[in-house]
Amino acid sequence: MYLNSFFIFSVLLSVLILLFRNKSVTKFIIITYGLIHLAFSIHSWTNLGKIDLGYFTYDHTALTFLTLLSVIVAAVIWHGLIYVAEDDARKYNIYHISLIALVTSISGAYLSNNLVALWIFAEATTLAVAGLIYHDRTVSSLEATWKYIFLSSVGVAIAFIGILFISMTMKGSGFVDLSFASISAASPNANPLYLKIAFLFIFVGFGTKMEIFPMHTVGIDANSVAPSPIGALISTGLVNMGFVTLFRVYGSLSDSVISAWMNRILIIVGLLSLLTAAGYMLKAKHLKRMLAYSTLENMGLVSIALGIGGRSHYAAILLLIMHSLIKSGLFLQMNQLYRALGTVKLDESGRYLKIFPAGAVVLIVGSICVMALPPSGLFYTELIIFRELVRGGNWFVIITSAFLLCCIIYAMTVRIMHVVFSPARSESTNITKEKISPWETLSQFLFFAVVIILCFYQPPYLKDVINQIVENLF
Amino acid sequence: MINYLTVLFSISVVYLAVTERYRVYSRLLAIQGIILFGITFAELTDLKWYTLLFVASETLIFKALVVPYMLNRIILRTNVFKVHTNALSGFYSLILIILSLLASIFMANTLKNPQINTVFFTIAFFTLFAGLIIIVTHKLIISHLIGFLVLENSSFIFSMAVGNEMPMLINIGILLDIFVGVLILGFFGMKLKPNINELSLLKD
Repeated sequence: MYLNSFFIFSVLLSVLILLFRNKSVTKFIIITYGLIHLAFSIHSWTNLGKIDLGYFTYDHTALTFLTLLSVIVAAVIWHGLIYVAEDDARKYNIYHISLIALVTSISGAYLSNNLVALWIFAEATTLAVAGLIYHDRTVSSLEATWKYIFLSSVGVAIAFIGILFISMTMKGSGFVDLSFASISAASPNANPLYLKIAFLFIFVGFGTKMEIFPMHTVGIDANSVAPSPIGALISTGLVNMGFVTLFRVYGSLSDSVISAWMNRILIIVGLLSLLTAAGYMLKAKHLKRMLAYSTLENMGLVSIALGIGGRSHYAAILLLIMHSLIKSGLFLQMNQLYRALGTVKLDESGRYLKIFPAGAVVLIVGSICVMALPPSGLFYTELIIFRELVRGGNWFVIITSAFLLCCIIYAMTVRIMHVVFSPARSESTNITKEKISPWETLSQFLFFAVVIILCFYQPPYLKDVINQIVENLF
Repeated sequence: MINYLTVLFSISVVYLAVTERYRVYSRLLAIQGIILFGITFAELTDLKWYTLLFVASETLIFKALVVPYMLNRIILRTNVFKVHTNALSGFYSLILIILSLLASIFMANTLKNPQINTVFFTIAFFTLFAGLIIIVTHKLIISHLIGFLVLENSSFIFSMAVGNEMPMLINIGILLDIFVGVLILGFFGMKLKPNINELSLLKD
């Protein structure tokens, strides 16, 4: 019932933007949408465990990520209004309609209790994101949009074949819908070879959304070109959507005989993601691309954490929550850095501390947080993951991932220090530089503060919710 | 009847993988649409008439008419008639496609299941591999687009395997076809030049 109203409101607000075509009205509408989304997320907690419209369930996983999305969307809307302030009405309106479509689709995907419904929402996010990546109408944005649509479409088609394989395993089992509950019930007696193929196809297909190896390139290009507030949303809300999909499929198949095999695949893919991220970060020349590779690194860690099981599942969820706050903060900072320095290219950036001290502090604190150095909350999650790895005696994974994480920390530190303290190696071609209000960094400091607090103290309610997510997995 | 149609479809896939002219690609995709229409009618006998009509009209209207028409428009607008000279030659493409056919037969037999039609499985895997081969071995982005359309046909054939029990999945597959296909073709036709062979602005 409430979900129905939320979907109707989303469509209605988009139609109103189309009808009025006025920037002030659009501004009012997008702020209203942000408030509606927040109210919907908070109210949804009162419906915990209930099913809505047949295909959606208000479970702990969905509501945690939905609430997180609301918080990030609030910051994205605020910074987005600054980003598009100078645009003409047409671009301004397309941006906000696409944003509403994207956030609504991601929300629908979080709440879906059916694989097909989730797949449809994932497909809808591809279309919505395309409009946002192309916002600046440059040659680079055209290339990034094409690559995003094409690779995402291939990914979605591959995921669809994976869904078909799951449906083949359910043939004759008495289940005719593809809800996660039905898949879970049918999987113990299903043909293991079919399940393995299905898992691989779905993993690769939805990997485009989770920005994990081997489909990570989709997100790297998109993040480097999309408006920074959208980069913040893609690398958090959308990535979390990819995770929720894989998490639910993994949970549904965990009672089957392929459970151990899935864990091995997750660990291998996680390691390959770390390897790719480390390799590219060591030669990164573009700050937004470096942040995108950092997302790949963190998703690799999440994949490893899922694969090793035990307490690591708790760490994986907490890591995702904190990564979302840090990464959105850093991407939002990228827009301020661009406005202050006129570039986000490494060689053309420098002396940021002198030019915009508040932004430089955000960059330093954010990078400490994302590199999982104390007092970042990510340090706590990585500690749990490594502790579980030691317990399991996975020495190869421990040594390899520790080495790769060291490479990543080195690459990121060198680059951030250069931008903050050193002079630029070459002059930026863009001479339009702005003076930025330090107040614009407020949301970023708030996000990082939460992450640092979570390192020392996790509220019992949060712990309970994450434990529920992990328990509901099996 | 259905065996003849599947063999015909396989021949069209082989031809598609080795041809070098975009007009031929366009015609072959139209022919594949018509063959899929025939397979739909022969295979999906348990469906309700309106679902069958929807599926059939999608294959005939979208796959056999709209897609080839849009491709032809793009070819005419841009005067790009042949694949890039650096693309894999027809001979090597033929070897690759034969190897992928053998791999498909092997995989379909490995996955043999009394409830699944092995012939469909073979053809679906073969079409999937062919689509991926076209995407990987060609330089021009219009070829990548054609590879994607072949991939879509593959998912359509896969969906036939469960179509009688879960018609919803076929409908969803069709939605994928229409939604993404039109979007990509439209975006491609309007914005991108198909003769661009190096999308290399974004790199590390």
